[in-house]
Amino acid sequence: MKERLKNLPTLRVDPGIKIPFKYRGKRYHGMAGDSIASALYANGIRIFSRSLKYHRPRGLYSLNGECSNCLMQVDGIPNIRAETTPLKTGLSVRPQNVVGTPERDLMSFIDKFDRLMPAGFYYHYFHRPYRLWPFFQNRLRKAAGLGRIKPSFRIKGVFDEIYPNTDVCVIGAGPAGIQAALVAAEQGLRVIVLEARPWAGGFFDYRSSDYSPGLPLHQQARTEAEKLEENENIRFFPNTFMVGFYSHNLITAFQVGREQDYFNERYVEIRAESVVAATGCIERPLIFDHNERPGIMQVSCAHRLARTYGLLPGKRAVFSIGDNLGLESAIDLYDLGLQILCVADVRFDGQDPYLLEGLEKRDIPLLRGWIASKAHGSRTLKKVTVSTVDGMIGKDFQCDLLVASGGLTPAAGPLFLARAKMAYDFFTGFFLPEQLPPKVHTAGRLLGLSDSLSIEASGQVAGLCAAADCGVGVDIALKNAREKLEQLPGPVRGSKLVQAPGTGRKRFICFDEDVTIKNIYQACDLGFDKVELTKRFSTAGLGPGQGGIPGPNLPMIVAQYRQYYGDSSATVLPTTIRPPLVPVSLSTYAAGNHDMFKQTPLHGVMEKTPGVVFRRAGAWKRVRYFTDDFTCRSEIENVRNNVGIMDASTLGKFRIFGPDALKALQRVYVGDMSKISEGKIKYSAMCNEDGCLMDDGVVTKRRNNDYYFTSSSNRADTTVEWIRYHTRHENWDFNLVNLTDAFGVVNLAGPNARRVLEKITDADVSNEALPYAAYREFDLRGAISIRAMRLGFVGELSYELHVPASYMRTVWSLVFQAGGDYGIRPFGLEAQNVLRLEKGHVIIGQESEIRTTLHDLRLGFLWHRQKSLYKTVGAPALKFTEHQDGRMKLVGFKMENPERPAKDGAIIVDKTIQGHICTSRYSFTLGESIGLALVASDLADMGTRFEIFEDNMGDSRLYATVVPTPFYDPDGNRMKM
Amino acid sequence: MSLMITCPICGKRNGYEFRFGGEERGPRPEEEGLTHEQWCDYVHMRSNIGGVQEEWWFHRDGCGSWFKIMRDTLTNLEVEVQEKT
Repeated sequence: MKERLKNLPTLRVDPGIKIPFKYRGKRYHGMAGDSIASALYANGIRIFSRSLKYHRPRGLYSLNGECSNCLMQVDGIPNIRAETTPLKTGLSVRPQNVVGTPERDLMSFIDKFDRLMPAGFYYHYFHRPYRLWPFFQNRLRKAAGLGRIKPSFRIKGVFDEIYPNTDVCVIGAGPAGIQAALVAAEQGLRVIVLEARPWAGGFFDYRSSDYSPGLPLHQQARTEAEKLEENENIRFFPNTFMVGFYSHNLITAFQVGREQDYFNERYVEIRAESVVAATGCIERPLIFDHNERPGIMQVSCAHRLARTYGLLPGKRAVFSIGDNLGLESAIDLYDLGLQILCVADVRFDGQDPYLLEGLEKRDIPLLRGWIASKAHGSRTLKKVTVSTVDGMIGKDFQCDLLVASGGLTPAAGPLFLARAKMAYDFFTGFFLPEQLPPKVHTAGRLLGLSDSLSIEASGQVAGLCAAADCGVGVDIALKNAREKLEQLPGPVRGSKLVQAPGTGRKRFICFDEDVTIKNIYQACDLGFDKVELTKRFSTAGLGPGQGGIPGPNLPMIVAQYRQYYGDSSATVLPTTIRPPLVPVSLSTYAAGNHDMFKQTPLHGVMEKTPGVVFRRAGAWKRVRYFTDDFTCRSEIENVRNNVGIMDASTLGKFRIFGPDALKALQRVYVGDMSKISEGKIKYSAMCNEDGCLMDDGVVTKRRNNDYYFTSSSNRADTTVEWIRYHTRHENWDFNLVNLTDAFGVVNLAGPNARRVLEKITDADVSNEALPYAAYREFDLRGAISIRAMRLGFVGELSYELHVPASYMRTVWSLVFQAGGDYGIRPFGLEAQNVLRLEKGHVIIGQESEIRTTLHDLRLGFLWHRQKSLYKTVGAPALKFTEHQDGRMKLVGFKMENPERPAKDGAIIVDKTIQGHICTSRYSFTLGESIGLALVASDLADMGTRFEIFEDNMGDSRLYATVVPTPFYDPDGNRMKM
Repeated sequence: MSLMITCPICGKRNGYEFRFGGEERGPRPEEEGLTHEQWCDYVHMRSNIGGVQEEWWFHRDGCGSWFKIMRDTLTNLEVEVQEKT
């Protein structure tokens, strides 16, 4: 267990809180604030994984999750980025892509055979002779990829999603981002700030050099971060990784939960009026022989290990850097106890004199114009060769840490995604935005700035620009801020050196895919010499890091190659960056996946009723069965012989009124709507433009130009849309109101239904006063106004009582009380299913398909032919398809074996499939098995015998005969009682 | 969806709130003398242009009105607003 540095004001770990975890089955401890990677490093782990192709040892490099070196399996989930994932109690961590142990990997011999694996080698090998390809394919599949997962694995945890809107979205809570956010918030705007780290402060957070005399940068960072977190107008999202940037400033991100959060990860989708990107810089890797050995780290990785986590990154170090940040970190790490053998700076001049003084004072040897050229050590770093930049002289140093960097590069992913016009700037060596899309601004190190005050000032300018986009008047403040920025130091010259001198085979440009410089040249030699092609053929940048390591090195090397071959016009072009910028798990994208459903007003009552079984019916949860007898025998017989009651509240209900209401009804219903009179209901259907049944319902006229109509439950949410759509070219004056949720419906059905109804109302409900197909409005118990209709769906004396939803429970219990003498019982959807089947009535979606017309369903009689004036939806198709050949027809059938109904969905066959069973049940009422089926028209005649096949029947068949419908009470006398 | 659409009644709203109603293809043809082909063309055929097209949208999670916009199918951005007819 490594001894940690104590009492540093920059520490983000708490030694007082120990966090136990497991690595490779053994118990270890980290501290609160550790990432998984830092906790492993503290416990002496140096080799974190083995690389994809060559199984080379890999370790901490960026401390930012830029590469797959530190992808680990955590609690069974592969490819977790250990550097950016906080350590939690009891995690079980395992290395990936290791055969044997990380220290002694059994596949590491492959490293010696790299000559056999040039760029694109798999295009040449493995497919001659072709019959061996399946064998190789399996081997390659097992070798490719880093993590392992079983298909049966189920991820645990809470994944949520939120969709906040905001005025200004600031990406990055470093010094520039914080200033931008504070400035915008000061103008009264709502600001959302996204930050990948667990804290705000960014680039200042871990540095001890002065912001101003006596005030170190890390303290300035903390002061400003506190202002950010306390500001009422700012919503701060730490541990949040931006992944996408879409038109109209739509930003997607995901946030990783801390121990105290209710979620493991949550998806965040933000619509912002204006955006400020202040994502700062990452480092450009230095390329030399064996530049990816464990023990080689980027500057900010080494510096933050010490300052943020209290871990000295090594014992004896060599630095190979090219900017002042490198010098600063060398001095700071020396002061923290790191022994520094030398600092190789590629620059000959231009170093900050204050830093030069610091190196001299500490007797740290500085080699100007030198660079690391080779790393030695078969597993971890043991020795480094540094040489002059021209490669003429070299010198060896025995060390266990090499801090190496080729320079800085902007983390401009968000700008690329936002479709900013980016161009290579030869001074900074950065891709800088030439033109930003509207309402997108940048600040800070993204622009090449390095001076602390410049960075903050640029943040203020960006924040004011964003505020201006939101309509706030900030002209004067913006002018002042711009002037202030102009007085401060501008962008600094950046190091553009890509490669140290040397020609070894193991100079890696991409760590994820094990792609070397030689591979890049091989790809270019084969003709893939445009950077997008080079990338794909060599696979550099295609791994989990998605180009975080190759970065601008790749286009720079390809440009150099093209210059070598005479193309001096070669400009440095980046490869296209696409979302997600950072790997996101599918469970985070799927997020909430809440099971949402609608309930009827009686849902609470139903839930308390013993024996009920709910089922989803579209958007609703409805009672399908009232007992565990799924044949529903008692419910069915009770309706046929006595009286039953059902909750039909999901029915779509609508009011249409206005001078042109009738025209609208004529447009969508196939029947003649002008025939509707007050006090009567008309049953009709709606078709789509192909003449296929979409919906059925009843319509009644309550007053002149004022109609009340119903639809099936599944169409309750789209009927208004449908009617308005099909009348959109007319200038008709009508209004639609969706009353589906305003009314509940009690369906009272059975020969004793009238007797029950009589008990709860004074209105005359005799067969003369309220006959079949009538509509009446009256009161129950003199207090509750209801709308009543008599229909025949289940084929008995039946009332549909439309009750204001808030009265549903009262009416339900009123009817129950009144029906007590008759033994009234509720019936559910399955009972209703069988009752209506016995009448041959169609349920849309069960007996109909989207391709069945009214004629196919034998409902053509609903279509009124003489209404072409109204251009009814579907009428032309009904005309054209009326006598069309080859259509499926709906028929009723009786099973040859009366005890054995067919299964819903079974198919009707002779030599081919000729149709299918829509619904089939044993009818207790009739004592035999019946059903409805859609069959080819030549099997649709009365008396035809057809064969039915169910799954796994083999050669046996069931048989049925086509019979007329309704099966029960063909004259319809029961309904008209 | 990152698309934003301007509803003539509710203003500029998130694309999520709307349902697409297809390109504008004119009012329903008269039934008089209509042939199979003409009807099929009206129901099923679309111009599907790459460029600015006039199309219908329904504000499902809002006012529930149908209206037309002009949208550039190449950039998937609304171009200008048409008044609800």
